[in-house]
Amino acid sequence: MTAGNVSTDEAAPKRAAANDHHPVPLSGGDARGQLPAGARPARNAIIGAAVIGYAWLLGGASPFSTRALVEVLVPGAVLGVIAYARPPDRIQVPESVDTAGFSYWIIAIALLFEWEASAVRDNRPWHPSLTDLINPLIAPHPIKTAAVVVWLLSGWALVRR
Amino acid sequence: MSDRTITVVGFVAIIAVLAALEFLARRKIGRIPTLGEWLGFVMRRPAGRAVILAGWLWLGWHYFAR
Repeated sequence: MTAGNVSTDEAAPKRAAANDHHPVPLSGGDARGQLPAGARPARNAIIGAAVIGYAWLLGGASPFSTRALVEVLVPGAVLGVIAYARPPDRIQVPESVDTAGFSYWIIAIALLFEWEASAVRDNRPWHPSLTDLINPLIAPHPIKTAAVVVWLLSGWALVRR
Repeated sequence: MSDRTITVVGFVAIIAVLAALEFLARRKIGRIPTLGEWLGFVMRRPAGRAVILAGWLWLGWHYFAR
C-alpha cells in the first residue's frame, strides 16, 4: 500500500507518531540525552573503569618515552575537542569575580611560581624544586596511577566550565 | 633547620595558603572566589580557556611523560 492510498483515518495515527518522533542520541537514552535511571550506574562504572585503566597504562609508561608522551597527548586532544564543542552538562560559572578576592589567589600563585623559579635558578641540592620533591612521591605505580586519575578528573572539571 | 627543610617548608606554607583561600571562599568569608569560580570566569573567553587547558596539559606532560 502506498501513502497515497491511505485513508485520512488510517494516516492520522502515523502522522501523530511522526510528529512525536524525537531523535535518539548516539550515546543512547532519550531525546534529551538522559539515560534511564538504571543505566546510569552501569555507565558510570564503565567510564570509571576506563579512566582507571588508562591511568594505570600511563602510570606504567617509562619517563621520556614516546608512549608516555602519546598517552598524555591523547586525553589532552580529546578534552580539547570537548572544551571547544562545549559539553552539554556544563557547570554554571559566575559573570564576574571580586577583583580584591581574585588578587589573593594571584599573589599566592605568583609566590608559588617564584619559589619554584628560585629553585630552578639555583639548581642546588639544598633548594629542590617542587618537581624534585613530588617525583619520588609519585614514582610507585599505584600512586602515579592515582595522580593520573586526579589529573584526568581535573581536566574533565575544567572542560565543563 | 637545614636549607632543604626551609625550601620544603616554603612550598608547604604556600600550598597551605592556597588551601586556606579555597576554604575561606567556600565558607563565603570575604569576597574570595573559589578556585572553580575564578577558573570558570577566566575560561569564559576562548583565550583564557586555551591558556588554562594548556597549563593542565603541561602539568600532565611534566609529571607523567618526563
